[in-house]
Amino acid sequence: MTALTHSLPRCTPGDRRLRRFLDDLGMSIILSAWAAVLITLATGNPAELYQQLVYSACIGVTAVVIIDGVRLGLLGDPARRAHRPVAILALAVLTAPVAHYCGLVIGGAILGQGSPSLSGYPTRPQLHMILFTLIAIGAMFLIIMNRERMQRIEAEHGEARTRAEAVERQAVQAQLRLLQAQIEPHMLFNTLANLQGLIAIDPARAGRMLDQLIQYLRATLGATRAENTLLADEFGAIDAYLGLMAVRMGERLSYRCVLPDALRTARLPAMLLQPLVENAIIHGLEPKIDGGAITIEARAHGGALEILVSDSGLGLDDTRASQGGGVGIATTRERLRALYGERASLTLSPGHQHGAVARLVLPLEQA
Amino acid sequence: MNPRALIAEDEPVLAAVLARTLQGLWPGLEIAAIAPNGTAAVEQALALRPDMLFLDIRMPGQTGLEAAEELLERWDGPAPFPQIVFVTAYDDYAVQAFDTAALDYVLKPVSEARLARTVERLRARLAGVAAGAPGNGAGPGGNGGNGGDGGLARLVEQMRALLPAPAPAPAGQLSVIRAAVGNTVRMIPVEDVVFFQALDKYVNVATAEGDALIRLALRELLPQLDGARFCQVSRGSIVNMRHVASASRDDTGKLTLALRGRSERLRVSPLFAHLFRQM
Repeated sequence: MTALTHSLPRCTPGDRRLRRFLDDLGMSIILSAWAAVLITLATGNPAELYQQLVYSACIGVTAVVIIDGVRLGLLGDPARRAHRPVAILALAVLTAPVAHYCGLVIGGAILGQGSPSLSGYPTRPQLHMILFTLIAIGAMFLIIMNRERMQRIEAEHGEARTRAEAVERQAVQAQLRLLQAQIEPHMLFNTLANLQGLIAIDPARAGRMLDQLIQYLRATLGATRAENTLLADEFGAIDAYLGLMAVRMGERLSYRCVLPDALRTARLPAMLLQPLVENAIIHGLEPKIDGGAITIEARAHGGALEILVSDSGLGLDDTRASQGGGVGIATTRERLRALYGERASLTLSPGHQHGAVARLVLPLEQA
Repeated sequence: MNPRALIAEDEPVLAAVLARTLQGLWPGLEIAAIAPNGTAAVEQALALRPDMLFLDIRMPGQTGLEAAEELLERWDGPAPFPQIVFVTAYDDYAVQAFDTAALDYVLKPVSEARLARTVERLRARLAGVAAGAPGNGAGPGGNGGNGGDGGLARLVEQMRALLPAPAPAPAGQLSVIRAAVGNTVRMIPVEDVVFFQALDKYVNVATAEGDALIRLALRELLPQLDGARFCQVSRGSIVNMRHVASASRDDTGKLTLALRGRSERLRVSPLFAHLFRQM
């Protein structure tokens, strides 16, 4: 979304008014042509059509130049605030004779027919033509102002929609984060059962396990509030989680976390990595009779941060592979799409010999 | 002889703690073995013939329930079927199901008071088994009197309550089985099938004319069959009731079926023995 607004050239108010003036000019030429045809039909002299067209166009263009000059120059941008119809009507009344006279002068010059002198100008037929000009100008601005009103309403709707979308997007983000930060009751009770057991048989180890549980809970529950976190903190939380799982699974689990010092301060969305690690444990290693190993490795790759979660577990069975990795993976993908668009990705593939590899790539942002 | 228990639990700390707590509550109890998964639990139970089993529900390989089911099918000989207590961490679904089926279970983290009540009940039952209390039902093979215990009939009843009812097939019932034999596909009308038997990832389709394999899990096949004609009789087999000639107990007390058109006999799990009781 942000990328989209940056890629479009920004519209200054001046540009907008120029565009509006050009729109109105186009409209005046079309209406002038209609007026010329109308007059020609009324006089019953088709040979005059060309002359009428030139005069009408000159009158129309002059009227638009005057009225838009005043309107857009003094009254402000009609896209933001409606112009009062009375003001436009008064302007039209004042403009009609001026535009008519000037149009005759300019048209006469173009056609080489000379121009009427100002003193001989206000004859009775000319007054009729001024009145006709006034009606034409009035009709034109009725159309123009109506169009502007429609544009204003549309713009307001658009803004309201954008606001609603932004609110909705934030809500979805919060919801997805919450979803990923959920602690499975089964996991919590099993961990507590182990803790309770260790208190009886190995109090020192129980103390260490309690530390890890606290760190895991702090990271997981804290993530429901924080939007992003440091890679070092995320790795700390993962280390705590794997420490808990290592007590539970005993010799069935071995693990390794590789985080280069340069990446310790890299920023990433909270609770993005942990579901991938939990996935590898729950679907890959825990159900495997002999267990196995898990490695979490972060590295910089061009301007991107690449994190690999590899396990030697059961691997991707047909259903998991066809679903793209299950709910946890789908939720993570959804978050990535909302946050980074095309600049981030998550792929799940079979491991070299066995197990599975989750590969997360996102823009590298240092704190 | 001291009573002996087998613990099936994949988490070593929990297994150690359960063993310790049990021995504290029941000083004469011998922990015969601690099995790290369901498959090992079945093998060790068959080898060691303990008096009771503590089965964790969630284990790698085989769940505690599946292990109990397999053990019911494979248990034989003079030793009475062990008392079974399921152990589970908080899990709405399982706990509800256990309550409905009135199964013996303890929750993790195991509370000593709750475990003490379980121990009391186990002691009373084992005393009843040793005394050959009247009303004792059959062993898994139904060879009554032979050290059978009243708990078994109850366990069978409870386990059956836990078995999921087959969901109705979304695509309707099968009328013809398409089975590959070499490079031809044989079309077998379902009424000709004598029984289906699970073989690893395949199912063997047995007819009077011979065998054929289909690549389908038994539990996927079951809902696609007419429930009035085809019945599951063990974890690994479904039989066509119209081809069953008779049901009888063999020397070890196992219930087996004689079939029309096939020479072999099909074993019936105690969980499904009720289907072949006389009217």
